[in-house]
Parts: sequence; C-alpha cells; structure tokens
Amino acid sequence: MIDNFLAGTATLFGDPFTIGVFVFGVIGGMLFGAIPGVSMLTLAAILLPFTADLSPAQGVMLFAVIYCTGTYGGAITAILFNIPGAPENAPTAFDGYPMTKKGMAGKAVGAAVLCSAIGGVASALIMMSATEPLAKWAIMNIGPPEIFALVFFGLAVASSVGGRTIWKGWLSVLLGLLIATIGQDPVGGINRFNFGFSDLAAGIAFVPAILGFFAVSEVFVQAEKKAAGKYEAPELSVDFPSITELWAHKIAVVRSILVGFFCGILPGIGATLAAFMGYGEAVRWAKDKSAFGKGELEGVISSETANNAATGAAMIPLLALGLPGGALTAMMVAVFQMHDLEPGPLVFYNSPDLIWVVFAAMFYANLSILFIGLLETKTILYLLKIPFQFLAPMILMLASIGAYISRGLVLDVMVMFLAGIIGFFLRRSGYSIPGIVLGLILGKIGEQNFAQGMQMVHYDLGTYFSRPICTILVIAGILTLAKGLYSAFAPISKETA
Amino acid sequence: MGKLSKSTILEVLFWVAVAGIFFGYTFKFNQPIEIYKFGATGWPRVILLLIMLVALGNLYYNFKNGSKAQQDRVGMGDDPDEVSYDTLDIHVKTGFILIIPFLYALSLKPVGFYCATPVFIALIMCAWGERRWKFILGNTVFIYALLLVLFMLVLNAPLPQGNVSPFYDVSAFLLKMKTQFDELF
Repeated sequence: MIDNFLAGTATLFGDPFTIGVFVFGVIGGMLFGAIPGVSMLTLAAILLPFTADLSPAQGVMLFAVIYCTGTYGGAITAILFNIPGAPENAPTAFDGYPMTKKGMAGKAVGAAVLCSAIGGVASALIMMSATEPLAKWAIMNIGPPEIFALVFFGLAVASSVGGRTIWKGWLSVLLGLLIATIGQDPVGGINRFNFGFSDLAAGIAFVPAILGFFAVSEVFVQAEKKAAGKYEAPELSVDFPSITELWAHKIAVVRSILVGFFCGILPGIGATLAAFMGYGEAVRWAKDKSAFGKGELEGVISSETANNAATGAAMIPLLALGLPGGALTAMMVAVFQMHDLEPGPLVFYNSPDLIWVVFAAMFYANLSILFIGLLETKTILYLLKIPFQFLAPMILMLASIGAYISRGLVLDVMVMFLAGIIGFFLRRSGYSIPGIVLGLILGKIGEQNFAQGMQMVHYDLGTYFSRPICTILVIAGILTLAKGLYSAFAPISKETA
Repeated sequence: MGKLSKSTILEVLFWVAVAGIFFGYTFKFNQPIEIYKFGATGWPRVILLLIMLVALGNLYYNFKNGSKAQQDRVGMGDDPDEVSYDTLDIHVKTGFILIIPFLYALSLKPVGFYCATPVFIALIMCAWGERRWKFILGNTVFIYALLLVLFMLVLNAPLPQGNVSPFYDVSAFLLKMKTQFDELF
C-alpha cells in the first residue's frame, strides 16, 4: 500500500500541470463551497465538459479533490449565514449558526476546519488500506434491503432533529419524500405527478431545489427581518477553539468517523446522511441534549467529521462497484465514461495508476483543508462584515446561475425560487428545511431499494428480516420513531406551554 | 377549540389539500407494473397516508399545547425575532421581496441573463430597503461585472441569452465582445 501511495504521490507532484489541476481543485472546491449561493456541484457542473481535455487520472482526481474540499467549504456558509453550501453541511448549521449569533463564529469555523481535515484524512487512510476488502464485504452483505433500512433509519433520525415539534419534523421529511416521487417511478418508468408539464418527467432536480430551500429561503427570512427592522448583523469574532475544547470532543470525533465511513461506503447514501447520523448520534449520547441546536460545539464537530469521513468511503462503491453515492460522485462516473473507462472492479487491475493518484490526491486535499483552511478562516470570517443589502443580491444571483447551469433550463431557476418561497413559509411555521432536503435526496433511493428488496425476497417479510444488518437498522429506526412519538404525546411543561 | 389558532387550522387544511390533490392524481398513473406488485402508486400513496396521519397528530399537538416549540427539540426552537404581520406595510414589503426574484426567473427566457440581471440586482436592493441611489448603482455595477468576469470570461458558462429583440441583440453583442477578448490571448 505504501509503495502504491508513494507512486501515486510521485505522479501527482511529478508533473506541473497535474499539480496545477490539484491546486485548482483544492481552492475551487473550498471557494465554491464557501460562497453562499453556489456549491461544489456548480463548479463540478461547469468543469465537466473541460475534463475531456484532461487525462483520465487528472479528471477523476480533480473531481475527487473538489468533493473533499467542497464538503468542508460548505460548512463555512452554514456557520456564518445559516446557508449550507451542500446538503451534507445542513446539520452543521443547527449549532454553527447559533454560535455565530452568539459571537463564536471563529470557534465554529475553526472546529469545522480541524474536524473536516481529521475526518477526511482518517477516511482517506481507511480507503487506501481497505478499499478492496471493504468492497468485497459490501458486495457480500449489503443489498437493497440494507440500503432501504439505512435510508429508513436515517430519515427517522433526521425527523427527530430540526422542526419545532416532532410532528413538523416528520411532515418535513414526508414532504421531501413526496417531492421525490415527482417524475418517473424507479421501477416501471411511469410518469408520476407531472401535472401536464413534460419538463417534470425528469423529476425535480436536486441542485435548484436545494439552493431554493437552503439559500433563497434564508435570504428571504433575513430580508423579512430587515424589512421589519429586526435584522441584526452577527457579531464578528476570530477566536479559534482551544486544544482543550477540541480534546474534550475526541469521542465524538471517533464516533463520527465510524458513522460517516459506514454511511459513505453504502452505495447511494453518501455524505448527507452521514452528517445527519453523526449529528443525531452526538445528540443521542450527549449528557445535556438541551444544549444542541443552541450553539453546541459538539454539533459542528460531529456533523463536519462525519461528512468528510464519508468522502473517502464514497469512493469505495464508486471505484470498486461503479456505484455513485451522490451527485458529485455521479459526475465522476461521467468523467470515467468520457475517457472510455468504466468504474468497477476492473479499474483496480486495468488502471492502478489512476486509482492511486486519486487516493493520494484525496489524502493531500484533506491535509490542505487543515492548512489552507486555518489560513483563510480569519479572512473568511470578515464576510460577516459585508452589508446584507450587498450580500443578498449576490447570493440570489449566484444561486440563479448555479441552478441554471446544472441542466441549462430556466425552469430550474423558477423551481429554485418557488422552493425558496415555500421554504420561507415553512421555516416561519417551524418546519425543518434540512429534513425536507434529506427526504428529497433519499426518497428515490429508498423507493428503488425497497422495490428491489421486495422483489429479491418475493415479498416475504420473514426472509427480508432474516438479514441481520437490515433488521438491526429497521429496529433502530422504529425505536427512534417510537421515542419521537412518546415525546409527542408526553405532557409539556408549563413554562414552555 | 383548545389552543388552536387560525394559522394552525390553515396549516392542517394545507396538508389535507396537498394529500387530497396528490392522492387524486395517483389515479392518473395507476398502471400495474408486471415485475412489481405495489405498482407506481404504492409508495406515493403510503407517503400521502402518512402525511394525513401526521398532519392530524400535529393538529392534536396544537390543540393541547398551542404553537410553541416542543421542549426537547434539537436544531430549532421559537424564534425570538419572529416578525409579526400587524401592519399593511410589512405585508407589502415581504410581498415584493418574494415576488421580485420569481419575476426575474420568469424574465430569463425572453429577456436573458445579460439584460435582466442588472435590473434585478437594483430592484432587490430597493426591495430590501436600500434608498441611497449611489450605493445601489455602484453595487449593481460591481456585482454585475463580477458575475460577468467569473462566469462569462473565466468559466465560460453558457447563460440564457433571451429570445426577444432587442434583449437578444444585446446578449449577442456581449458574447461577440467576449469572443474578441478571447482572441486577444
């Protein structure tokens, strides 16, 4: 492994153009992740056609690097503006933004930098040492029933955080699941809920919906406050968390690495569910659960460690099985195909150089997060000084371009603003925007795997639940829902009622 | 009526309406799929049934406890700065804030990105309460130039050009300038 890694490093840093591509990916991913309104997906969509001019290793490596650094970059906007750069940063905003409002933005961003780097490096190391055995284990043990069970468990966890009441948390997730049913059904390809619009046959695209629900609705909320004279600019602070503060959360970091890696390794699940699960587990194991959502450092640490830990793991199903774990990894499949390559087990034998350049690049990209992140953090915090009247049109414009570029459809810009308006009203009424987005992302994956699983076991629930991983995850999901239901009917104290 | 407010009842009606409309629409694609017992409608109908049940649970919760946040919720609570809509002024302002971006989206196809964007940027700043015209003008020019440099020159991103004259001609002129600029290097 070490020899291969060193060979990958030598290829990566032995050619000035490859170094340039790597540096562009690191900085581009961080910037597009950190600019409110666009995300790493916007950059990836713009760059996709240009990868045809790169070598296969350079093209795949560029996207892998953007994936690592963009996942971290999205935390910055989540923390500073309550606008997650990508869905995987949504749980970061739960505690990151309250920290900013309390004047602790420096601590939150500092923790995000460090934990993203730790999660990413750990994940890259496990990926390098165990891609083949892990892929074999996944092939043997993970099938549609397990993936559906994990989606079910993840959605149960997601509905228990965010939302003013558990009912609103559930309704948010269900709304996301309902939106995901628009378009063709994943088994028979039958058009559903297109209401006569042919453009809806392809379904609601993730990028515009996510930008609308996260970025546009938050801009509307802030604008409403400004119009009512209630807007207060967050306080600027550049204090980083101390070593002691970070050390106190070491268990949360290890737990989130494990959760993130497990979620990342499963095809189709990716970093978004990892972040929610990492955050959910942090709440579950915390002594003082009430501190979460009000500016608890562990919330930021857990979410950011888990989502970056999933980045390396997401490469395993992609490279070993040819199954992408999210939108960006799906674009990586396109990069492979542009160069007449097919990701899958044969890639390890046919193109080992490519694999090890990608592995080495991901390792160094995660290290770069630490160094560049710490250097840029203090500058980035000054974004809070920019007047809102200037920032808001900028965010809306970037979001419009981001929504349009992904498919070249004006309809997507309309969908984005419509999602923004719906998101605005739902936020005001106490619904969970991250819950909606997670439901939207996982809805189709859940349905597809449920259908495949049912066909696999010939609709026999006994066979379905004879699979241990599936059973454990389904029971964990049911217990999470039951706990939520109990809390929903438990008497409310007088001071909150 | 317990602690139910008008907004809670409206909320429940909204969910019931969504569930009802979507359920009604499922009959339009209720075709059997040979390889899948539950067909194309099974999954969405379960979701719609759950929406109905949870909406009723939400109604019950509000009936007992009012619209306050549940005490052990994580990630969201009551917003102390929540805006109250007690004057016409705030209704109008919020209406503009929500409508202007949507009008921009509608204008993109006929007018195009290059012509609609500066007008939209300036309008947004007005809607957000900014009245210093020098600030509006300066920032509009700055943001527009920044977007053009980043997406048109650096990233070469294809943006909507519009399909109505003279907007289309302006977009074509800008793109021609861009091509000539590219040829310089």
